[in-house]
Amino acid sequence: MDKKKKGKIISIFLIAIITLFISWILILLVGTSFTKACSGFYKGILGSSYNISEVLVKMSPLLLCSIGISVAFQTNFINIGADGQLYIGAIIATIVAMYFNLPTILVLIIALILGFIFGGMYSLIPGILKSKFGISEVINTIMLNYIAIGITGILVKTILMDKSGYFPMSPEIEASFPIIIGKTRLHLGIIISIVLALVVQFWLDRTKSGFYIRAIGQNVRASRCAGIKINKNILISAMLSGGFAALAGVFEILGVQHRLMVGISSDFGYTAIIVALLANNKPKNCILTSLGIAALQVGSLSMQRYAGVPSSIALLIMGVIVLLHLGNEALFPFLYKESK
Amino acid sequence: MNLVSMKGISKSFFGVYANKDVDLEINSGEIVALLGENGAGKTTLMNILYGIYQKDDGILKIKDDDVCFKSPKDALKYNIGMVHQHFTLVPSLTVEQNITLGENFKGYPFLKTKDREAEIAKLSKEFNFAINPSELVKDLSIGQQQRVEILKLLYRKAQILILDEPTAVLTPQETESFFEVLKKLAKQNCAIILITHRISEVLKIADRVVVLRDGVKELDDKTKNLNKNTLSKAMIGRELKKQQIKYVPRKEVGLSLKNLSSIGIGRNISYFNFDVLKGEILGVAGVDGNGQKALAESIVGIRKYSNGKIFIDGEDITNLSTAKRKESKIAYISDDRHHDGLLLNYSVEENLLLKGDASKKYYKKGVLSKNILSQDATSKIDEYKIKTYSSKTPIRLLSGGNQQKLILAREISEETSVVVAFQPTRGLDVGASESVHDKLYQKQKEGASIVLISTDMDELRKMSNRILVIHDGMIMGIVDNDQNLDITKVGLMMAGSGVKNG
Repeated sequence: MDKKKKGKIISIFLIAIITLFISWILILLVGTSFTKACSGFYKGILGSSYNISEVLVKMSPLLLCSIGISVAFQTNFINIGADGQLYIGAIIATIVAMYFNLPTILVLIIALILGFIFGGMYSLIPGILKSKFGISEVINTIMLNYIAIGITGILVKTILMDKSGYFPMSPEIEASFPIIIGKTRLHLGIIISIVLALVVQFWLDRTKSGFYIRAIGQNVRASRCAGIKINKNILISAMLSGGFAALAGVFEILGVQHRLMVGISSDFGYTAIIVALLANNKPKNCILTSLGIAALQVGSLSMQRYAGVPSSIALLIMGVIVLLHLGNEALFPFLYKESK
Repeated sequence: MNLVSMKGISKSFFGVYANKDVDLEINSGEIVALLGENGAGKTTLMNILYGIYQKDDGILKIKDDDVCFKSPKDALKYNIGMVHQHFTLVPSLTVEQNITLGENFKGYPFLKTKDREAEIAKLSKEFNFAINPSELVKDLSIGQQQRVEILKLLYRKAQILILDEPTAVLTPQETESFFEVLKKLAKQNCAIILITHRISEVLKIADRVVVLRDGVKELDDKTKNLNKNTLSKAMIGRELKKQQIKYVPRKEVGLSLKNLSSIGIGRNISYFNFDVLKGEILGVAGVDGNGQKALAESIVGIRKYSNGKIFIDGEDITNLSTAKRKESKIAYISDDRHHDGLLLNYSVEENLLLKGDASKKYYKKGVLSKNILSQDATSKIDEYKIKTYSSKTPIRLLSGGNQQKLILAREISEETSVVVAFQPTRGLDVGASESVHDKLYQKQKEGASIVLISTDMDELRKMSNRILVIHDGMIMGIVDNDQNLDITKVGLMMAGSGVKNG
């Protein structure tokens, strides 16, 4: 097993090298110098404290969504609906901020709680459809993404619309999570998400209910034989999953964007699937992988500005990393040969 | 005539020898039993002969041709055929279609089914198989299906037949008639290699016995020079323990089923009525797939009922969930440990947690205590002699016997009132089986009611106080397991009182 662990670590380096090589080729194809592109990338993520904070701002929703996705994937509930659940959280946060006339601190707390609950309920829909009727959650969660976006679209043209403007968006929301580094957009959400990742990891590893969740993902049949209630636990994981994704929406509205509109999520819910996959569905690993993916996205945007390399290169690279990661035991069999 | 000659065959996996320097000669018209425990290397050796594996070293000669088969296709060219433990037939096709499946035949694309059916019927008659080529395979009994497998090989002109554990799925009667078939084949100058670990059958049918142990040939002699003790000694390196005197159960009833019928996928049980006393082992005999799984699952509570009641110590548990039942001390050892009992990627320790609500003792205030868990794991590894590198080793790296011991350790080490042991020794070698049996005896002495479901008659005779015979989801009868037990009668009951004599 030590051999296996060692193999995993070496494979990470190999993947990094292969990825760098492929990016080098891609950048050459665009016709830019590699060093120029790299310095653009570097400036984008580490150039100043503002740049660093932007990476972390991007990381927070990715991390929250990927915690949720990890929990769902642990029971083999394939939740593709984090994006929709994020929108539900955002809607709830907007409603709470607009209609609850309360001190800011209470608004924030109530938004978090209600957002979590409603996000959880939203993802219970595919959960119940799966456990009661055996309907594939993959399709349902994707469809519910469009529904959530549709609901947002209707709301920002009606009850949540900014009456003073013409655009389909909510008025600017005053209540805001505290900014932790001055003159940046970095809010408290990042700390809460990291703490949550660790707490959820602890729950999975060290409690009975967490063990049940993991056991079901490993072997449903054996879990049933051991007396674990399968449907109940799948529903729990579906609900938690939706709840965490919705928290990302709450933070986006009350921490970063302060206005609800269609398009607040730049595909966080989908990118988070990659984050969770690379983290092997472990919330604590999601901290690192979400940081990496956020840096890749922010850096590639800056690369586009400085060196004219299209930022879609980030998507290509993510694809390469995922493929190499998923296929790594087949691609590098020499690392895993168990010399028993 | 010397058909197969293997000299100094060696084969290793990851540096461990599965076969080392094995010599084997097989003559035409001879039935050779290849005997050995699980992992002794018998299947590896035969897979080399059949072209599934390639030898590392040594010489393999078929009728004086030096060969090295790349695949079973090459082996078939040299008239070698193998019948696997699990049949490779298509149930919805006819016998003729199954036999000629994938063959290139004259007159393509016209099927000429009639001609080929006649050909197969002729072959079947030659060996007294009593198989109708136009019948669907799914309508045949297991014994008949096995004959179709053999017929398939004969049709492809196989002369050397390798049979992997052929009697595991047969009733005693079917086994008898199967042996007749083998004798007939031998008379027609076929060579038959029988892979098995059942000593009593070897003595009955084989002309010559080859025993492998740890990949090395331990013994090679004519059957007439051998007996049970010499064989078991060669196989496991020591003599088998003396049969224990049966423990006399207490008078109180432990487990009781009243008119229990199950509903669910596959074969179900209907109207099951029986009591198991405390300290009693009730053996359940029957051909595989006659409702054994439904019985086990009904007692454990995984399967739902359509009617009837079930009691433990007089308490009605009919409506209790599996979790609650496990709390009231039912232990379940499943026939399929990989699917029903283990989380293969998880460690030995974590697999101990897989016991529903009964795993409370590992948690302190709701948080898993790694200390308690690893201490308990270590003590269980010692007590049950589980061979593992550490308690953190993933369970999939352990051998089948050690995995089974872990399940036993998890399920029966606490106080238990009912044990459902469903084929607890399936796939285990003699040594591991013995230790499983010892643990069950121990449970029996502690007063547990044990339901032992098995397809191995020897195991049932050794262990049980009474034997219940199951056929087609119904109880055919319950007989006392003593000297007067009429094995023929049990066999007929297993076959549905002779109704469906394969």
